[in-house]
Amino acid sequence: MSLQLTVPEGVAPGAHFQWRPVRPPRGRDEQSAAGRAAVAAALAESGSTDLVVPREPDGRPRFPPGFAGAIAHTDRVAVAVVVPGAEAVGVDIEDAVISPRVARFVLRDRERAALLRPAGAYSARDLFAAKEAAFKALCSLGGGGGLGGPDQFLFWWIELDQTDATLVASYRGVSVPVWVRSEPRLSLAVAIRR
Amino acid sequence: MVEARARIRALLLDMFGPDSFVTELADTVSLREGGVSSAALVSLLVAMEDEFGFEWQDDVAPEALRSISSLAGHVASLPA
Repeated sequence: MSLQLTVPEGVAPGAHFQWRPVRPPRGRDEQSAAGRAAVAAALAESGSTDLVVPREPDGRPRFPPGFAGAIAHTDRVAVAVVVPGAEAVGVDIEDAVISPRVARFVLRDRERAALLRPAGAYSARDLFAAKEAAFKALCSLGGGGGLGGPDQFLFWWIELDQTDATLVASYRGVSVPVWVRSEPRLSLAVAIRR
Repeated sequence: MVEARARIRALLLDMFGPDSFVTELADTVSLREGGVSSAALVSLLVAMEDEFGFEWQDDVAPEALRSISSLAGHVASLPA
């Protein structure tokens, strides 16, 4: 399995992606180290001189001002994306098997009917990743964007709609476009609010 | 509460294995910060519906899902 996905079409130029493998034994420490390495590389590529991303008390990464970004990892690979000048960025990579029961839990009837294959273009894992990426972006909005932080709402409360080739995720009137790239065992979702 | 916490921990051990981080995960520690992914959290919530015989409501307070203790507290608050 490839540990690196091609960046989804439509993600604008100026988005800097970096991938790092998670070293054995692939525990939490190794996953965090891979995330930090990916972030440092993405920030450097973006032109930031500050390459360290501390954690907010609620666990959110705090990127340098002007360099919105996000981090995600599985137990095998970490990815960081930095979009200079963006208002908010979210990313998720997902390799979990999303059972029909879990899909029903996180996706509304309307979302399953319109977006899931075969009627739609997405797997349940794609849409799970899309909601997670959007959740990170919406939580990183300045002042919480009026939505509050990650302890104030749940990622499956976000609603997904299809517009052209892009998903739009929204919660309480705040929206963010989400791009998804899917391979047989891994989904990448990127949410960027400019 | 004690029994509910033990049953929730047992569900996590079923998911992650007997030698996993779950053995050292304190009842009050954030599941997310403790290493439970979003996909695993939702799987746990679904397993809890079967284990305890209830359905999560859409308007559940996020803090109820924070830790083993808060999940057990939610179970304890359910009507008998």
